Amino acid sequence: MKKIILSAFIAAGMAARLCAAVAEDSKIFTPFFDMSMTEAAFLPSEGNIFSGGNINTQVGLLAKATQADHLFGLYNFNYGGPGFAPQDSKQFTDRSMSHGFNIEYRRSVTDRIRLRPGVSLNREFRRTGANEAWQNGLYNMNSTGGQLAGDYTFDEEKNGYVTAQYLFRNVKFPNYTDLLTEFRNMNNTASVNGGLQDQTMGQFSLRPSWNKFFAGLTYTVQNYKNQKVVANTGVNSTVKQKDSDTAVDFGFQQSLWIFELAPMVSYTMHKSNQNFMLYKFLGDTSPQFGGKYYDFNELTLSMPLDLNITSKWAVGGAINLTRRAYDKRTARDANNNFTTEKQVNNMTTLTGSIRKRINEVAMVRLFTSLIVANSNNKFEKYMPYNYTGNSFGIAYQLSY
Amino acid sequence: MKRLIITFLALFLIKGAAFAAVDWESKGMQIAGEIMANPAGFFYDFQQDLEGTTPLPPGKRFSIQTGLFPTLIPMTYTNVSGKVRLHGEGRIAPGVPQLDLIGGYWDMLAAKMATKDSKTIDSAKFGGYYMGAIMSTSLSPRVRTFWGYKHSQLDARLKFKAGEQPEMLGTTVNSFDTGFKDDFFIAGIETPKGVGKLWSIQLNYGLKTQTFSSKISWYGKFFELGLNIFPEGVLVFHPVWNFHVNF
Repeated sequence: MKKIILSAFIAAGMAARLCAAVAEDSKIFTPFFDMSMTEAAFLPSEGNIFSGGNINTQVGLLAKATQADHLFGLYNFNYGGPGFAPQDSKQFTDRSMSHGFNIEYRRSVTDRIRLRPGVSLNREFRRTGANEAWQNGLYNMNSTGGQLAGDYTFDEEKNGYVTAQYLFRNVKFPNYTDLLTEFRNMNNTASVNGGLQDQTMGQFSLRPSWNKFFAGLTYTVQNYKNQKVVANTGVNSTVKQKDSDTAVDFGFQQSLWIFELAPMVSYTMHKSNQNFMLYKFLGDTSPQFGGKYYDFNELTLSMPLDLNITSKWAVGGAINLTRRAYDKRTARDANNNFTTEKQVNNMTTLTGSIRKRINEVAMVRLFTSLIVANSNNKFEKYMPYNYTGNSFGIAYQLSY
Repeated sequence: MKRLIITFLALFLIKGAAFAAVDWESKGMQIAGEIMANPAGFFYDFQQDLEGTTPLPPGKRFSIQTGLFPTLIPMTYTNVSGKVRLHGEGRIAPGVPQLDLIGGYWDMLAAKMATKDSKTIDSAKFGGYYMGAIMSTSLSPRVRTFWGYKHSQLDARLKFKAGEQPEMLGTTVNSFDTGFKDDFFIAGIETPKGVGKLWSIQLNYGLKTQTFSSKISWYGKFFELGLNIFPEGVLVFHPVWNFHVNF
């Protein structure tokens, strides 16, 4: 599930960044540079201390051929290191590294309407705490595709515009294999299991923005090329897996006196026709069936607040909440048996920080966080669902 | 100041709410295991600390540099680096970026001394070099971006005398002969922090080994303070102190 959601966000994230670069009137070429880095130590209540962080580097160039025709190229390096994560998403020690290339042509049709067709290429590597080589990651992913976006400016004074975008991706997981199927039928390996996660993804989004308020409606569909839906007999049916996400979000970035506030709320409805067979051990002859196992609704709320003590220094606090409630999936008890309760995962993060602005383009932040994760799922042999943790670290950002 | 103290107190209160303990012995074993699994990678991270991969300040033609910490002290990497400007920004034609050649060499003094005096070490060689080029261009009067390439190489060889081999994590270590070699892509951005002082952040990415690091530096007329971060390294944080003279 994690790689599916990830692929959707990669596509959407890159597209959003592309829109951010703006040409300077006097220049033919305008560079775009954004580098941020976070490194932290994590101390969970279950397990030992570990370190992790994130690096994001975006370098791009906007070329102005004529007043109405622009071309924008962007390279994005992203590293996601070990860290706490919402339940059912990834292990603490999982890491990912991706290279993204995006080229976009911008055509101003009128003063208020702009079209932005583009192409995209992304390569992502994933590795677990076993430190396998990056090239061997089970969930390594390559994607290619394109997008067409249109911007309509309705209020130039308050920077009010609305963007409609459709993007398409062809996603391949070259190393993915169904390990359970391989184990159960050792004569059939890659030729049977290869390409199970390969998929096409289409996404439509509508995003209005005005006076530093923003909102969005995003609909994503993932069609699996080979993965079939498992039936309650434990045998794959002839129906291919199909997932969809419908997400709405709202937020703003405003300053009031010494306060800087940037809250954001989003709500996602994930639907999948895939089911789940729960094998308690290899060779289990009476597995339990979980129908519509992956459908969930997720609410995320983020409320960061900075108080500018001086022009350079600020103290900050933030609260982040994530609540995922499954439609049909029931929680498991400590013995790995389904209970009658629907599974609900909660994760709350409280953060305190000190920020220093080095100059108008650079800042550094020291932070410490308390994470509280709880769930009514009590089977935690492979992934923790109920824990507390501390993290403390440093973050840098330099953008132009 | 009062507000700052209250904030710190609040942060400590938050921190105390979680119940966790550090198993330092287990962590130490993990670190030792990671060094044994990839000794060259461990020593190469220190080589990156001494590598000068920022452009020459505008108006300077060349520079020499030596890494002081953690390279010379405590790792005993005797080292020297240099930069030479091929042409300044806009000198050949308007808009043409500044181009600098970079390079350096290091040798581990402790390895030489160990070979000479030790009763257990038969031979040891730790050393490396790097060379490359950095291109830099001003985005505005206060912001300069730079791009570069470097080739880095490290050789690490150690052989113990017969009967004197140490045991690490239950395994007898006779010798190791390893190395590191890669071509790196460099991208960074530089901005002034004060009069004659600069601040930069950069990414170094190894194209073959996919080794990467983030280097944050503050530098003035003679010294550079840095924080090099190796997210996939054994020691993630390397505080760095280098000495340089620009001419």
